[in-house]
Amino acid sequence: MSARNALRSITEPSRKLKVVREADVVVVGGGPGGVASAVSAARNGARTVLIERYGHLGGMATGGLVNIIPNLADISGRQHVYGITQEMLDRLGKRGGTSYPAKKDWGTADKDVVDFYQDANLGWFYLRKGSDGRPRVLYSAVVDPEILKDEFNDMVLGSGAELFLHSWGTRAIVEGNTVKGVIFESKSGRQAVMAKVVIDSTGDGDIFVSAGAAFDNECDNKRRTAWLALVWWVTNVDLKKYDDFKASQPETFRELMQELTKLGGYPGFFKSVLKNMPDTVWYHCMQPQPERTDAMDIEQLTRIDITARKRALLTYEFMKKRVPGFENSFIMLTAPQLGTQGGRRVIGEYTLTEKDLESDEVFEDTVAVLANNDYGEISLKHPALCVPYRCLVPQTVDGLLVACRAFSSSDTINETFNIIPHCLAYGQAAGAAAALAVKTGVPPRRVDYRVLRDTLRKQGVNIPEAAKTKKETPSATGGRSKDFYYQKYRGPDR
Amino acid sequence: MAKNATVKTIKESARETRVARECDVVVVGGGPGGIGAAVSAARNGADTVLIERYGHLGGMGTGGLVTIIPQLTDYTGKQQIIGITQEWIDRLITRKAVDMPKKEHWGSMDKELVRYYFERSFFYTRLDRVVYAALIDAEISKIILNEMVEEAGIKVFLHAWGTEPIMEGNHCKGVIFESKSGRQAVLAKVVIDSTGDGDLFPYANIECETDIPAHFRIANLAVCFWIAGVDYKKAMDFRRNNMKEFMALMRKANEYGGQGGFMTSNLPDQESVMWFHSRYPNKSQIDVEELTRVEFLGHKIAGKTIEFYRKNVPGFEKAFLVLTDPQLGTRSSRRMVGVYQLVEKDLADNQPFEDTIAIFPDLDRGQESLDHPNMYIPYRALLPKNVDNFLVACRAFSSDKHVQDYFNLIPHCIAFGEAAGTASAMALSAGVGVKDVDIKALQKQLAKQGVPLPDVTKKVDYKYEGPPLVSASFIPPH
Repeated sequence: MSARNALRSITEPSRKLKVVREADVVVVGGGPGGVASAVSAARNGARTVLIERYGHLGGMATGGLVNIIPNLADISGRQHVYGITQEMLDRLGKRGGTSYPAKKDWGTADKDVVDFYQDANLGWFYLRKGSDGRPRVLYSAVVDPEILKDEFNDMVLGSGAELFLHSWGTRAIVEGNTVKGVIFESKSGRQAVMAKVVIDSTGDGDIFVSAGAAFDNECDNKRRTAWLALVWWVTNVDLKKYDDFKASQPETFRELMQELTKLGGYPGFFKSVLKNMPDTVWYHCMQPQPERTDAMDIEQLTRIDITARKRALLTYEFMKKRVPGFENSFIMLTAPQLGTQGGRRVIGEYTLTEKDLESDEVFEDTVAVLANNDYGEISLKHPALCVPYRCLVPQTVDGLLVACRAFSSSDTINETFNIIPHCLAYGQAAGAAAALAVKTGVPPRRVDYRVLRDTLRKQGVNIPEAAKTKKETPSATGGRSKDFYYQKYRGPDR
Repeated sequence: MAKNATVKTIKESARETRVARECDVVVVGGGPGGIGAAVSAARNGADTVLIERYGHLGGMGTGGLVTIIPQLTDYTGKQQIIGITQEWIDRLITRKAVDMPKKEHWGSMDKELVRYYFERSFFYTRLDRVVYAALIDAEISKIILNEMVEEAGIKVFLHAWGTEPIMEGNHCKGVIFESKSGRQAVLAKVVIDSTGDGDLFPYANIECETDIPAHFRIANLAVCFWIAGVDYKKAMDFRRNNMKEFMALMRKANEYGGQGGFMTSNLPDQESVMWFHSRYPNKSQIDVEELTRVEFLGHKIAGKTIEFYRKNVPGFEKAFLVLTDPQLGTRSSRRMVGVYQLVEKDLADNQPFEDTIAIFPDLDRGQESLDHPNMYIPYRALLPKNVDNFLVACRAFSSDKHVQDYFNLIPHCIAFGEAAGTASAMALSAGVGVKDVDIKALQKQLAKQGVPLPDVTKKVDYKYEGPPLVSASFIPPH
């Protein structure tokens, strides 16, 4: 923040705003969480409006070029995430818009199969170590961002939800303790949409902040979620030539990469994006946030965006000039949206913490089951994490649900369970819950868990029966400090 | 408008809004106009803030995938737009990220040359002649524009949407912007609207027009997209050798719901990428519901296009849809009615204005262009009538629909920006309002910055004496 004007403010007078819609449910943000929320609310009978800042849906999965939907099955190969995520992949599959390991290969340690996926597009996401230390094949999917934009459009329109693109939902309209609608900015000016339930899918909790909900934004710098990333694609790469060079002159290659690193470039990239893009490589320009770690400081966002582009260009020019295979390459595309990984987290009726990683508890209000793959031994012992509906319900504000990475969680949990399939799952649950709340005339906080669970099950979500008595599992780690719980897997980009 | 729209309103209560910055000049919008404005203001000594909605600068030139800076020479081959436009291109040249006709060919009527350049790009020829237009690399441009604003010492806010002016009578005290840091204000002595759409006009009560006849170029919205992984040689050979079959396929692509026709207007070493331009006539560009519908349709068409081409068009077998425009392609919306409004009759007048701040080659109107080779832009076309410290530096400059239809492109906006930015800084250092800036001094300074300007004291007596026109005038494709 600029120090010299830190405390000045101006007074804006009171004014009238046009109400463009009165809906049952309004969803702010069209990323994975928002798309699933809107589709789910509309399919369950609510008059739904979705507001999105950019001209496309999909958030990080499309505009952020984070076109990877990982961790759909656990390391043993058992699928946990279904619902709208699976529906999306099925739809993409019909159009050649996704690729993922064949079902028969999930969980296998067969060396040939493992090697095949290791070398496949974005291969790193396809493998995790099993209990014998050997890598196993994961069910993780890579998607084509452009096809996905169209597919998400179809899903939203098909559900009957109404959409406002190029519209930035900025503020909750609050009466007492209850959210009554949202204000958004667009080329049509400042306007309002009123609703019985508002779903905050902004990723950063932009709406719940303005509604006065309590939140947490602590996150230490070592966590993935404290980093920002700009993805960019370089094409016209002769990967065979590059591989040959790397294999035949490993020493020269190593020296070159060291030099590039020293210059401030990025030596690591993922080979190809989708299977039909064999000469395109995927760069992930990770940048730590030195000052604030919650992606909320616009001055820092600006600096990081500018630095990331500079480093992208430096990398590209170096590779083109010095590294065989890149002679004819060019930067095809930088991500239209800056890649943010974590921000504010609402304080909900229940907050998931690292303790839940080892409890195996099936909550009575479980609305999603997520595969736990990134914590080494803990993951092998506790392959699934149940998420209770209460994580989406803010403690202090009514009429509002949170369906994005800002769900109620500690930074430890958020580091791992805040990515695309998770947000889709939170969205599907929040949308169904919002519709149910409207239908039964109760605040979202009071919806009947059993009805919600049955609805979600009917709509393809995998939800186990809640145990009558709590299952106690001895902790594998014996109550270590939070610092113990960092992701054990780090991509080649860090 | 929507079926269930009502006139219902809610009351927003008064509030305190944090001031993020106080400066001399604030520029809203980081497209070509905003870049020109901010860079010129800062270089001329003003403490400048630039607010941009997206994460990159360049507007239509980068995010809109309109990667073409056209119309830099008049029909004689004389370069009339230099300044910051040329600087952008020069910086691209050092990165090998731009393509253009050779300088010695500008204005040439040599048939072979004209044909050669026409095949290279639709933008390289006009009026039977080779003209100077530059195809640019969108990604490298984003980086170069960042460098230019950084070097100029501008405070930039990216991911920040400047939405409203802060008015006090006839004076604009600054602007409000929304961002992930919440609603904040920037206070400034001069405010420059480079939003493209005059987003600040309604709140500042600045008079404007929005009528656009349906058949005008500027009535079109566009969703540009790129298809990559194309076997260029195979595709071009097929087109050249089987023109009839190719045209039939393009018609079929349209029938299928995709986009028939594309441009190979990519840089020479980027042949595997083709440029598609799907157009949506007669759309409002400031109605968010219309923008939403067009964006949906655009993505639908892009998806159908890749499906059809992959299956049916030789050379596209392994192609993929790499990108639909991060910014919707808009062409025009609000036009200010300013201190001077450029109107249709100015399109036939060859006498420069006393306060001319830019010359634009006139190339798209056939014989009329030959009779009127250059358009002069008065400084007054950037000034609103009712606000005293406000300038417009984008396609929302003061013009009627006829002038707007031809002179609202990237190099034009940069020129508006360069004049507005320079004028703001000079007004501030002279301690006068932007309306009272010394025009002669402004022209002198612009000339020093490399902007070609006419001798305004001379009476112009011009008559076209070249050979008669052969090719048709440029007809905006609808």
